[in-house]
Amino acid sequence: MHPTISYLKHKNLLWQASHTQPTGHGQHTGFKELDNALQGGFPEYGVIDIRSQIGIGELRLLLPSILTRQQQKPTELVTFIAPPLSINSEMLAEFGFALDQVMVVQPLLNKQVLWSTEQSLKSGCCHSVILWHASLSVTQVKRLQVASEKGQCLLFIVRQPQQQHISLPVTLGIRLSPSKVGIKAQITKRKGSWSNASFNIYMGAYWPELSQSEDSNVLTFPSRASRAG
Amino acid sequence: MMQHLWLYLHFPNLQLDALLQQNPESNIHTQAYVILDERTNQVCQLNHAAYQSGIRLSMGLGTAAMLNGDLQVIPYQREITQNRLSDIAQSLYLVTSDICFFNDNSLLLRVHNMLTLYGNLHAYWQVVQHQLSQQEVVFHYATGHSPLGAKLLANTAWDQITDNPNEIQKTIAGSALQDTDLTPKAVEKLQRVGIYTIQDLLKVPLADIAKRFDMEVATYIGKLTAQIPHPVQFFHPKKSFDRFIELLYDIENVQVLQAPLKQLLQGLEEFLKTRDLLTQTLVFILSQRDEKSIELNIHSQQGEYLAQSWAVLISLKLENIVLSAPVFAIRLIAKNTYIRTPEKNDLFAGKQGKLSRLQLISLLQAKLGEEAVFTPTLTNDYRPEQVIQSSIRPAKPIQTFQLYPLRPSFLLPSPQRLHEKVSIAYGPERIETGWWDPKPIIRDYFMARNQLGQWYWVFKTPQGDWYLHGVFS
Repeated sequence: MHPTISYLKHKNLLWQASHTQPTGHGQHTGFKELDNALQGGFPEYGVIDIRSQIGIGELRLLLPSILTRQQQKPTELVTFIAPPLSINSEMLAEFGFALDQVMVVQPLLNKQVLWSTEQSLKSGCCHSVILWHASLSVTQVKRLQVASEKGQCLLFIVRQPQQQHISLPVTLGIRLSPSKVGIKAQITKRKGSWSNASFNIYMGAYWPELSQSEDSNVLTFPSRASRAG
Repeated sequence: MMQHLWLYLHFPNLQLDALLQQNPESNIHTQAYVILDERTNQVCQLNHAAYQSGIRLSMGLGTAAMLNGDLQVIPYQREITQNRLSDIAQSLYLVTSDICFFNDNSLLLRVHNMLTLYGNLHAYWQVVQHQLSQQEVVFHYATGHSPLGAKLLANTAWDQITDNPNEIQKTIAGSALQDTDLTPKAVEKLQRVGIYTIQDLLKVPLADIAKRFDMEVATYIGKLTAQIPHPVQFFHPKKSFDRFIELLYDIENVQVLQAPLKQLLQGLEEFLKTRDLLTQTLVFILSQRDEKSIELNIHSQQGEYLAQSWAVLISLKLENIVLSAPVFAIRLIAKNTYIRTPEKNDLFAGKQGKLSRLQLISLLQAKLGEEAVFTPTLTNDYRPEQVIQSSIRPAKPIQTFQLYPLRPSFLLPSPQRLHEKVSIAYGPERIETGWWDPKPIIRDYFMARNQLGQWYWVFKTPQGDWYLHGVFS
C-alpha cells in the first residue's frame, strides 16, 4: 500500500466503503417497520431530529422505546422540555410510565430551553429527553450531541417540518407525515447509511382506535387490523 | 484536690480581623486602620500600622487623626465583633467543652477538667492554638487559677501558659491597678493611700478592704484570689448557622459579590461538615445602601453542605437579580439542618452521572424558577382537567385507581371551540360528573381526525356545541 494511504488510514482520515459498520445494535422502537428501516432501532444515545406536525402520532411513535428505556433504567428520569401544550399525565400513566420518573420543564424564555436541555442531557440522571424547539443552529446541535454522549442520554428534538432546511449534525433524522394506518416516516439522515423511501408505520397494535385502514375512515375490523400489522 | 485552672483568650481586634479575613488582598496590612466606638468617640481597635504611628486605645478621634493623616476610620459594630467571637467559640467547642463569653471580645475556657482528656496542659494548649490559628485572629492569652486572674494577665498580654501557682501569683502581684477591672475612681482612691499594685493590695486583709474601701474592691480581690467563687455561664453551640459579614467597600456588581459569598459558604461548609449535617435551604440577605435589602432563598432538592454545590446554585440565582443600590453587608442563614444519611448508590450500575436527579431539579429550578420544573401527577377524578396535576417536588408513587385508555397526549389549557371539519373515528365516551361541586360537566368525547391527518380529542356539549380539548400527538 502507498505510504500516504496507509498514513491517512492510520490517522483515521480516510474512509473506505468497506468500513461501513452494521449498526444493528440499536434499541427496539416497538414498531416493526421502523426497526427494519433503522436496522435495529434507535441509537443508545445521541440526537434524533424529528420533523413533524403536531397531532399525527409523533409522540406516540417514541413512547414505546422511551418506556423500554424507563424500565431498563428505573432510577433515571425522562424529561419533557417545552412541550407545546400540557402533557397529559393520565395518558403517560395509562401507557405504563412511572410518573415520579417523569419531569416536565417549561422555561419562560427561549434561550433557557436549550440550557435546560443541555443540563438535563449531561446530568447523567436522565435516560431520555424530548425537546420541542423551533430553531436550532449547527453549533447548538453539536453542543447537545456532546452533552448527550457525556450523560449517555437520548435526545429527541421535535420540530415543525417547514422549519429550516439546513442539514444539522444529528445522529438520526426522521420526517413524519400523517397516515391513516399510523404514521408515515422517512429517514432523512442516519450515520453510516443512506436514506430510503418513506414507509408507513402501523400503530394499530398500540392504538387500534387511532389507526384506520388505508381506504376508508370507517372503524376497521379487528381481523383486518391484525393482518395489516 | 485538683487546682482550678482557667485560660483566658483576649481578642483585641475582632472587627478588624473580620474585615481582613473578608478582603485578604486589601491594604489593611500597610494602611493605618482604627475602629471607632461612636458612643464614646474613642478608638477601640487598631491595627499595627496605627499603633506604629502612635495611636493607642481609648484615644479620641481628633488626636488619632492628628497622629496619622491617612487614617482609615470604621465605626464599631458590636454585632460583627459578637458574631466573630461566637464563630471562634463554635470552633473551639470542637476541642474544649467549657467556654464562656467575657465582655464582647474575650473567651474564658475552663482547663482543669479537660486535662484528663489531653494529658497535660501543653498538649491541650497545642490543640487550642491550632484551632485558633485557623480563625486568623489576633489574640492574647494567659492562664490563671481564677477567671479574673487569667483575665488580668491576658489583658496585659502576658501570653504564657502555665499551671505553676507561684509564677502566676508573682505576675499577678506585679500587675498595676490600672490593668484591673476596678473603676478609675476606686484605683485613684487606692493610689492615694499608696497602693499601686496588686501586691500592695493583697497585703491588706480582705476584711479590712471591705471595711475601708468599696465592696467592689473587696469582691474583685476575693474573686481574683479565688476566695470568693466566681460563677460563669457556659456557652452552648447554636444549632443553626447564621453569619453576617460587613463588606470593606460597597459592591455594585453581582460578579464581585461572588467572592464574599464564597467565603460565607466556606464557613457554612465547615459548620455543617463538623456536625455531619446537610441543609436544603439557604437565605441570603444582601443589605443595600439606602434601599430595601434583597432576600435570596436558595433551595436544593437534595441536602448539601459543599460550598461548591451551593455556589453553582447561587450564581444561577444571581443572574436573575439586579442590584438597585450597592451592597454593604451580607448575611447567610441556614435554619433547618438535618443529619446526613449516606446515599445508596448501586456500585454496579455502570454509568454514574455527575448529578443526582434532585441536584438536577435544584439546578433547573434555581435558574428557571420553581414553577418551571415539575412532575406530573394524577388525582382520582373523571374530569380530564382535574385528573392531571403537577407538583414541584417529585411525587410519591400514586395510589392505583382506574385509568382510562384513549386519552390524548396533550391537553389544551382549556377547551376551545372547534372550527375545523373533522371526521369522527371513535366515540362517544360520555363523561357526566361533578354535579356536587361548582364545575359540573356533561360531555360526549370523540376521537376525530381532521383534514391534515391530525388526531383530535373533541367533545360535544348537551347544547350541541363542539369543543377541541386535546391532541393525540
